[in-house]
Amino acid sequence: MKKRKFTFLTFSFYAFLLLIAASWYFVIGVKNASFLELFSKENVAYASKFFKGLFGVGQEEIAFLNRDSWSYAFTLTIETLQMSIMAIGFSTIVMFLTVIPAARNVADGTLTLSRKWYRWVVFGLIRISYIFSRAIPELVWAMIIIFIFKPGILPGAIALALHNFGILGKLCAEVIEDTDSRPIRNLASAGAGRAQILMYGVLPTVLPQFLTYILYRWEVIMRTTIVVGFVGAGGLGQEFKLSMSFFHYTEITLLLICYLILVIIADFISEKSRFFVK
Amino acid sequence: MSNQNILEINQISKNYERKIALSSLSFIVEKGELIALIGPSGAGKTTLLNLLATILQPDSGEVIVDGKPITQYADQKKRAKKIGIIRQQFDLVGQLAVIHNVLAGRLADWGFFKSLFSLFIPQEKQVAMKALERVGLPDKAYERTSNLSGGEQQRVALARLLMQKPEIILADEPVASLDPARADDILDMLTKIAKEEHQTVIASLHSVEYARKYFTRLIALKNGELFFDLPAEHVTDEQLQDLYQLKELK
Repeated sequence: MKKRKFTFLTFSFYAFLLLIAASWYFVIGVKNASFLELFSKENVAYASKFFKGLFGVGQEEIAFLNRDSWSYAFTLTIETLQMSIMAIGFSTIVMFLTVIPAARNVADGTLTLSRKWYRWVVFGLIRISYIFSRAIPELVWAMIIIFIFKPGILPGAIALALHNFGILGKLCAEVIEDTDSRPIRNLASAGAGRAQILMYGVLPTVLPQFLTYILYRWEVIMRTTIVVGFVGAGGLGQEFKLSMSFFHYTEITLLLICYLILVIIADFISEKSRFFVK
Repeated sequence: MSNQNILEINQISKNYERKIALSSLSFIVEKGELIALIGPSGAGKTTLLNLLATILQPDSGEVIVDGKPITQYADQKKRAKKIGIIRQQFDLVGQLAVIHNVLAGRLADWGFFKSLFSLFIPQEKQVAMKALERVGLPDKAYERTSNLSGGEQQRVALARLLMQKPEIILADEPVASLDPARADDILDMLTKIAKEEHQTVIASLHSVEYARKYFTRLIALKNGELFFDLPAEHVTDEQLQDLYQLKELK
């Protein structure tokens, strides 16, 4: 057994070397790519123009030194925050409504000690909806939703919620699947009904984990608002897209600073609440 | 009146795949008896307890609890009044405060809203505190259960049984993961409480010493069959040696 494992390891090692050599040969030999071309005169000029623009060198109106643009950016930041909270709120509510029948150990009855044939049907339906929802990226969801609603933060929030509901559902269903069934069986033998088992056995064990996942997804949603904003879902992302199209480089700097602040806040909150839960 | 016989076991058998776990086992338990199930590993002790707890169903034979077949106790609320279980740890919800684990013994009598409300403001707190006092943990009521030691957790499980007040207590290796001093303590408490509350105890044990010390009747199982069934003081060392003897290689 040991010898076979060793030969497989050596094989994969040589295959790894061969792959690296072959890919470099393809990049340099076949495609005639040159690393130095990246630093050609034009590229350097473009880059320096862009970065100078970002820092406002030689520009008349510098957005991040302007009070009005700051206050405008502030309202956009609040909008983005609202969008992210709405998104995580929607997906959390729907996740909570669906997650329990979506756990395998609930479907086969080992957790709740009651077996019903329809549990598997419900399980399958919910799991398929999870897969469907998370297989489609936020951006695509946003494009579809914007098609129906008029642009704004609500469709953005719905698009983000649609994508994250599948992710949260899957993660949280797995948390339920990992719970120790022994305390729960004992609750059942102490005479607890289904709802009571849920309240005393399942929820206390899974909620801290759920909260960690919800906060983490909230953080991710906050960052992804920029992506859905690109297709008109409002907030900082939409303004970012507009500034980019109008070559208002200093505005981009301002918006990036706002993003930075948002992410730092989200980081701080999730860190603190995770500490609190433990 | 068969009220004296709280439990009748009639010819029950249970097979796993090809392995025989229990083969036509029968005995009768009277109310208030303290029974220790002993025997080597794999003799069927846990299987028997799980059958009595209705976690498993027998392949054949029947179990009669207080004059009625056990299948008539399908409602877990009614069953909880007759049969309570304590295991070797892991039977408490670690994330809950101790008092909620104790109050879980009352869930059979509580409705949905009372149980929900109790998670925020503990209901019937006096009774729970009394139970905790009896097991010697009155000051731990609001601690997180998983922060308690193994022995303390078993005491909490006992307090929960005090709240549940079943007529029969099934104990599956209640002291397997405890050191001798704690084990003595828990068994002493379990048997004392059972005597005070006129409960019947059926406990599976690894240690013959504890079985003889705390229980009135020993039932020995070997390879799924009854090896002996005697009052504790009539069991001889020779019989015990036979019970735990390894199969001789031929």
